[in-house]
Amino acid sequence: MAFKRDKKEEEEGTGNPFQNLDKTAVLQEARTFNDTPVNPKKCTHILTKILYLINQGEQLGTQEATDAFFAMTKLFQSKDVILRRMVYLGIKELSNIAEDVIIVTSSLTKDMTGKEDLYRAAAIRALCSITDTTMIQAIERYMKQAIVDRNSAVSSAAVVSIFHMTKHSPDLVKRWVNEVQEALNSENVMVQYHALGLLYHIRKSDQLAVTKLVAKLTKFTMKSPYATCMLIRIVCKLIEDQNAASGDTNWSNSPLFDYLETCLRHKSETVVYEAAHAIVNLRRTSARELAPAVSVLQLFCSSPKPVLRFAAVRTLNKVAITHPSAVTACNLDLENMISDSNRSIATLAITTLLKTGSESSVDRLMKQIATFVSEISDEFKIVVVEAIRALCLKFPRKHAVLMNFLSAMLRDEGGLEYKASIADTIITIIEENPEAKETGLAHLCEFIEDCEHTSLAVRILHLLGKEGPRAKQPSKYIRFIYNRVILENATVRAAAVTAMAQFGALCPQLLDNVQVLLARCQMDGDDEVRDRATYYHSILASQNKQLIQDYIIEPLMVSIPSLERALHAYNLHPSPTPFDMSSIPLSTITTSDPTEMADRLRTPSGGVASEPTAQATARVESYYEKLSAALPEIANLPGTLFKSAAPVMLTESETEYVVRCIKHSFQSHLILQLEVSNTLSDQLLENVTVQLEIPEGYELIKETPIPRLAYNETQSVYIILQYPPSLADSVTSVGAVLKFSVKDCDPTTGQPDSDEGYDDEYMLEDLEISLSDQMAKVNKPNFLALWEEAETDESMNEMEDTFCLSKMESIQEAVASIVNFLGMQPAERSDKIVAGKSSHTLYLAGVFRGGIDVLVRSKLAVSADTGVTMQLTVRSTSEDVCELITSTIG
Amino acid sequence: MKLFGKLANILGIKKKEVKILILGLNNSGKSTIVNHLKSEEDKVLNIVPTVGLNVEKFKYHNVGFTAFDMSGHGKYRDLWEHYYRESEGIIFVIDSSDTLRIAVVRDELDILLQHPDIVTRRIPILFFANKMDLRDSLSTVKIATILGLERIEDKPWHICASNALNGEGLQEGSEWFTQAICENIK
Repeated sequence: MAFKRDKKEEEEGTGNPFQNLDKTAVLQEARTFNDTPVNPKKCTHILTKILYLINQGEQLGTQEATDAFFAMTKLFQSKDVILRRMVYLGIKELSNIAEDVIIVTSSLTKDMTGKEDLYRAAAIRALCSITDTTMIQAIERYMKQAIVDRNSAVSSAAVVSIFHMTKHSPDLVKRWVNEVQEALNSENVMVQYHALGLLYHIRKSDQLAVTKLVAKLTKFTMKSPYATCMLIRIVCKLIEDQNAASGDTNWSNSPLFDYLETCLRHKSETVVYEAAHAIVNLRRTSARELAPAVSVLQLFCSSPKPVLRFAAVRTLNKVAITHPSAVTACNLDLENMISDSNRSIATLAITTLLKTGSESSVDRLMKQIATFVSEISDEFKIVVVEAIRALCLKFPRKHAVLMNFLSAMLRDEGGLEYKASIADTIITIIEENPEAKETGLAHLCEFIEDCEHTSLAVRILHLLGKEGPRAKQPSKYIRFIYNRVILENATVRAAAVTAMAQFGALCPQLLDNVQVLLARCQMDGDDEVRDRATYYHSILASQNKQLIQDYIIEPLMVSIPSLERALHAYNLHPSPTPFDMSSIPLSTITTSDPTEMADRLRTPSGGVASEPTAQATARVESYYEKLSAALPEIANLPGTLFKSAAPVMLTESETEYVVRCIKHSFQSHLILQLEVSNTLSDQLLENVTVQLEIPEGYELIKETPIPRLAYNETQSVYIILQYPPSLADSVTSVGAVLKFSVKDCDPTTGQPDSDEGYDDEYMLEDLEISLSDQMAKVNKPNFLALWEEAETDESMNEMEDTFCLSKMESIQEAVASIVNFLGMQPAERSDKIVAGKSSHTLYLAGVFRGGIDVLVRSKLAVSADTGVTMQLTVRSTSEDVCELITSTIG
Repeated sequence: MKLFGKLANILGIKKKEVKILILGLNNSGKSTIVNHLKSEEDKVLNIVPTVGLNVEKFKYHNVGFTAFDMSGHGKYRDLWEHYYRESEGIIFVIDSSDTLRIAVVRDELDILLQHPDIVTRRIPILFFANKMDLRDSLSTVKIATILGLERIEDKPWHICASNALNGEGLQEGSEWFTQAICENIK
């Protein structure tokens, strides 16, 4: 018996020796540190245990950590190198939990300046982790020496530690720039890299300084390939920034770009790759600039090193999305890589080929993929799926082959993400290609028969509800959907009930059957499912077209969070009047734009990451509450908050006073919320107002000034305006001046020096009140039907005009600017344009303030000499609105 | 091995290892004294104010000393007590020219002597009345009276004037200290 157990233990012997450590026991053991003489071996082992515990996520209390820390300080008496280095690690780990960690400052400074080189770098790192802003001065002298130390490990450690210290005391670190500059000239590759990184980090907010740094460094070649790579990234960032600032398209001749090109001929492969990668990732690169980079990558494709091949093919894969023609030259090399023994390389090669290849090669490539798709990881399967999606869009005629392949993949084992990407692809294909709809839906139906992911099943059911009723033979989908009601969990059942109701609403011949099924669902065990079934059943039973249209076919338009908040408020203060649905703001519709996606993919994920460009999607919808808190008057205004526009800056972002304007539209009023920030530490502003040149027709109702605005504070001036009676006057621009009285004050305390202030004013940029401020987006799923209906409807007005948009060069550009200008929602996916077409029709739907529905059709045609010509047709219940839209566009 | 150890102990060859604490207000000369006691090759040229503590090792009369040279700065004095328990001897350094702060010294000393880790133990304390070369420095007798050293009954103590810059007086103190510690261990 005993023998058996021994054997078992032996088998497990390869396991983790630190498993099942107990925190209290280990901390108890840490008392050994106090023994004289120190036993280095034992202490090292105990320290390892403590570090292991901390890294496993064990939480040490402050007292426990402090005790362990002080016990550890006694180990400084031992001269054992291994033990000492463990002590440094221990200090670093405990430094943010334990108290009084500065006690080891002197011991560490002694080690970092001492003769033992093995101690020095580690001591610097530990020292910097225990030092806070107040203590930096005490170690400043030592750090300065360490940066320029002859020992490269010491110098590197110092530079990197300082980099970490910039987080809490950026200003002090700036004083050490001279030393860091010296380290930049170091012979050691690592020191040079770290020094450049730090130098850039210190200066990165100052573009002029960065430009100078780059100009200096690009003149001579740095010894370190890592530093060169870093420099390439900085250069890229600089090129992007300069482009963004100047909008100059002719940047390829700039010295910065020349530098990138010279790096393509560097002797280090790392640098060559980095340069190629950088050129490829620059925005708006043209084929001419890409050519040298692609040819370098092509060379890498035939390299014996798998890493290089992988890097090259991965980059080519990305380029293929935007510039397929540039990659075509590498097709031959890519073909060779299909049979690469490294599956990741092969996958990327095939997917790249799929993007660049011609229609005829698709079948062959798909067959090739099928042979190894089961061997690759989910992550790469997703890459394959993405490639297939792109392919479907490119060659719509091939959808049968691709769809079969996708459905085969759906049947394979795989995680949620993988399955979701396949489902996504099928859905896109269905949306883009009406021919593929029937087969695609059939595949999806089959998939939900055996789908363990609730979220996916719900999505597909929703899609079936939307698309199924319009198919040739809607009845066959009912069976699949009703199967879900029998077999799945409550969430899926509820979604299935909703999908069935759609069939009932849209297919009159199926209505009776659907009603029978819904009646059966009313017996369900889950509340939500029962509720939905009852709800749909009674609406469908009413036979009222209008009701069915409003409550089943049209989705809910309002913003869900606001609805939730409003309902909650209503429940808290019940009133005799029924809940008013129209008081809820319409939801802002966020569409995922494929070009945006591509942009996100293209942003370099390296050290110099660009700032996130657009966060507009995270718009706050709770403005109304904030407004009503600040302005009680708005309760008396007719209507409720109709739309809040995105904030607009009325000053440059780095001026003395920063003013940001948010426009809130009501039915017949406009509230301007002007957020003013005071960035001057020696000024106290009082009685801050914004004086507007009230445009013709507008009427000033009320203005609330800011009584007192101290340094670093942001408060709002509110101005209520009444819209002019004539709509044509409502689109205008307003001059604005910031007026205030200044009191000089002490920067540190914020107390004014005297009670005497003086009046001052500050010119602001003109404030534009545009059409889109008064228009909200709405989603109309069946736009064309509405459009036809509006033609015959008596109450609808129509207006048509033709415009010549000579500034626009392409239809894409024109569509984007029209959508932006009108502030309306594109319907029928008409904002997606097939590249290269010379004409296009854009449908837009929106609601003008006051709840006036507006539909717009815009027929666009592009020609080389006149730019874009547009025929605009507006249909709306209000003639004035029609007129306003046609008159403002011109 | 055990027999050999005992034998060595009797003959006094065996190297003894003791931990001691160096305490005192800031700028009293603690690090300078430790620096003087170290062997020739370990000595440093300029002494900077200690932040926290320094751990130093030196040998004196065949006894290995591990000295915890504590910072005397006001805000670090609270940290002394972390090291009381394991110490086998205390060197308390007083700046004898700093008549103004001698009251502070007395306060700190009282806190030290009443600490639970110290009060019950019979550990030797050596007082260095440092900076004796300065003109207006107090004499050892006077300092002993001001600090009320005669109240210390259960611990061996000794006071001697010193000048850490040239090492004057350190010899006498250290010899007493080593002997007291050796007796204490036996």
